[in-house]
Amino acid sequence: MKSENPLALRATPLIRGAGAFIVLAGAAFFMGDYHNDVYRKLLLWVTLALGYNFLFGVCGQVAFSHFAFYGIGAYSIVIFLFQLHLPFPLAAICGIALCIVFALAVAIPSTRLEGFYLALVTLALGQLFIVVLNEGGTVTGGTGGIANYRLPEIYGLRLRGPWYTAVIALLVVATYAVLVRLDRSGFGRACRAVRDNPEAAAAMGVDVARTKVIAFTLTSVLAGIGGMVYAFVDNTVNPPIFGIENAFLLLFMVIVGGAGRHAGAVIGAVLLFLLPFWLSPLVGHHHALVFGVLVVAAILLEPRGLIGIYDRVADRYKGSPSR
Amino acid sequence: MSALLEVRGLTKRFGGLTAVHDLDFEVREGEILGVIGPNGAGKSTTFNLIAGTYAATAGDVRFAGEPILGLAPHRIAARGVMRTFQHNRPFAGMPVIDNVLVGAHTRFGATLWSVVLGRSRAEESRRRERAAELVQFVGLGELARADVTTLSFGQGRLLEIARALAGEPRLILFDEPAAGLTPAECARLAGVIRGIAARGIAVLLVEHDMHFLLPLAHRVVVLNFGAKIADGLPAEVRTHPAVMDAYLGSHAAH
Amino acid sequence: MQDFFELAVGAAASGCVYGLIGLAYLLIIRPTGIINFAVGEWAMLAAFGGYVTLTKYEWPYPVGMAVVLGLMFVVGWATERVVVRRLVEGGAPLLAPILALLGMLVVFRESISVTFPPDPHPVPDAFGIGRLELGPIGGTYQSFFTIVTALGVFIGAWLFFERTVAGKAFEAVALNRRAAALMGIDLTRVTALSFGAGAVVAGLGGLLVAPNISAHYLMGVPLAIQGFTALVIGGVGRVAGPLLGGLLLALAEQLTVRYAPVPAGYAQGVPLVLLMVFLLLRPTGLLKAKV
Repeated sequence: MKSENPLALRATPLIRGAGAFIVLAGAAFFMGDYHNDVYRKLLLWVTLALGYNFLFGVCGQVAFSHFAFYGIGAYSIVIFLFQLHLPFPLAAICGIALCIVFALAVAIPSTRLEGFYLALVTLALGQLFIVVLNEGGTVTGGTGGIANYRLPEIYGLRLRGPWYTAVIALLVVATYAVLVRLDRSGFGRACRAVRDNPEAAAAMGVDVARTKVIAFTLTSVLAGIGGMVYAFVDNTVNPPIFGIENAFLLLFMVIVGGAGRHAGAVIGAVLLFLLPFWLSPLVGHHHALVFGVLVVAAILLEPRGLIGIYDRVADRYKGSPSR
Repeated sequence: MSALLEVRGLTKRFGGLTAVHDLDFEVREGEILGVIGPNGAGKSTTFNLIAGTYAATAGDVRFAGEPILGLAPHRIAARGVMRTFQHNRPFAGMPVIDNVLVGAHTRFGATLWSVVLGRSRAEESRRRERAAELVQFVGLGELARADVTTLSFGQGRLLEIARALAGEPRLILFDEPAAGLTPAECARLAGVIRGIAARGIAVLLVEHDMHFLLPLAHRVVVLNFGAKIADGLPAEVRTHPAVMDAYLGSHAAH
Repeated sequence: MQDFFELAVGAAASGCVYGLIGLAYLLIIRPTGIINFAVGEWAMLAAFGGYVTLTKYEWPYPVGMAVVLGLMFVVGWATERVVVRRLVEGGAPLLAPILALLGMLVVFRESISVTFPPDPHPVPDAFGIGRLELGPIGGTYQSFFTIVTALGVFIGAWLFFERTVAGKAFEAVALNRRAAALMGIDLTRVTALSFGAGAVVAGLGGLLVAPNISAHYLMGVPLAIQGFTALVIGGVGRVAGPLLGGLLLALAEQLTVRYAPVPAGYAQGVPLVLLMVFLLLRPTGLLKAKV
């Protein structure tokens, strides 16, 4: 990428990432508390959608456990920090290790079965997680969850308000960067090959089971990290948030936005997250009805999602096929 | 020249049916070995046994001296044995060039860490250039960025070959590559296969169509009812009494 | 042991309901391969139908039941026609209708949530409230009615698949769609009928269980999971599979609640744990398919 001025900054990925981070984080400082709260949750949904899109759209695996891992991350950091009183870095590492263990425990047996089994096992796992949370007594706080804690100082830093939003912005940008790199690499191609034709992928040397396990574990850990960050957004964790309702919503976001494309995940997450705010005068809190209709419409009319519609319009404008 | 692929006593029974019985043959480097036989002769089964899709009942298959029978397909590919599919199996969600790049999967050195840190870009562009060369070699040059669903049947067949070549194989297994092709496409295919053998790659060509295979192969193995009935140069096999018997018997199929 | 017999009828009735939901899945999975998670919502719709016809308008039970089940057939047929047909005929991968039906799950549930207030809506028992004692075994009229009706449905389904030409057509489609189409079987008709029948069966399950738990817009998903677990335990290859699976599941739930040293809430975990165990260890279920 040559620019006219030899002194001008070349837009390397690092520069672009830093720019995106500055914009996303900076915006937090211009918002009041309420908007900051909404914005944080939006950023977290975008992070989750990016990860889920990699698992579902790029690797072709349907799973309903993403929110369970989000919850494992959230609950574990709170329990490790405030019940076991571990120092923050250790608590974080333990939380991640827990996610890895659960992800492997689910993925390794499931991958030797046919396609949809992972979806079913993860559906059961997701529900079981909620049951365990509800019945967890003093450890998990039962149906009420755990509240009344605050993010401790980390190496002397007190991250509050828009500074915490900046942390989330960093998470989004880092997640995006990692996933884009993986997607464009041999691993990403292997994932797509497994999605499109597992038998041919194996014949080309792709270890199908291993690829699936890695993709599942990686994205589940990303969800877990997101959960750890989430724990300090509302400073409360309770069971309903991590249920299958949100798992379905995540799936719907990715389908409507456009599975397999990072931009699709972002668009889907932003749209379906903001839709309830715009629709509430019309449908009250029954916005799920609209989501259901959108998903069915997407699958029937434009399976490539909103990004697919954008591509089609862009093609006609440019007169040549894009992507 | 020593044999690159050695098949000894290969047997496959499906319940009461013996599909392949006590097969012995070998393939040498740079040689095109044809495996022909009428429908139901066991060609497909033999192919799938070597490629790792089926488990054998008995026998031994060695590649470069190492046993490969019973290995999972992806391990066989890593050893340097690549294959094509009779009914084209492209990766529909990727353009042509990316399909070919998947073929090179086992040749990539990058670990996930190096990918995340952005260190593997140089290797990636090298591989992409090689893949582009292969796309040219099989004759799909202008279509590198094309959507695979827009390819014709014959073009899809060429993609299968480019993809297999991307794995830098020492042995390629072709599963009825001429099936469904027009005479012109067959001629082009034969040229590509000769080019592959000329590069020193061993070729095992399972084919039903004698007219395509006999002029192309260096040596031919003929199967019937799961057993080998002839093994030799195409000219010898063409006039072999057992072979003519087998084919005349099912000549109605031609 | 005494209380085991007391529970037996109730558990058997629950098991029959799970079995019916499992059968609804089976009727659709066999000819099409589509896993329709919306069957739980179908059960929920029928439960609300029961509320409207039987509680609100107080129609006689047989009339209300017939009307609701008739409407369920239409709902099932319409679901296939609007959501599934285009995808199947367009050659979309199997995942597409499955996900579209997941969307419909939400649509069905929210439609009811919009139409009715959120509290539970009572649905009457078929024969009124009362108990029947047969020696050591005893249960409510509703439990016996549920068991008898479910058995009737399963026997009817078995007869249909084993003894009728139409049933053989279903089997043929289940074994090989292409071959069945080449033999002249109308795949669209089979698919439409399987959805309609599945909706009726699931609706029956919903109607039978509703008096115990009341019609509530969230009742669909737990039933969908229990029904699916019943199917996985029993096996999808035989009509009797879901029934066996349902009974075993209900038994496991009862035993857990009664005897396991864990809080009662964990009973909800029983179908989930069983589902995971069977999926990972014995995905084909307990009953072997014929052939």
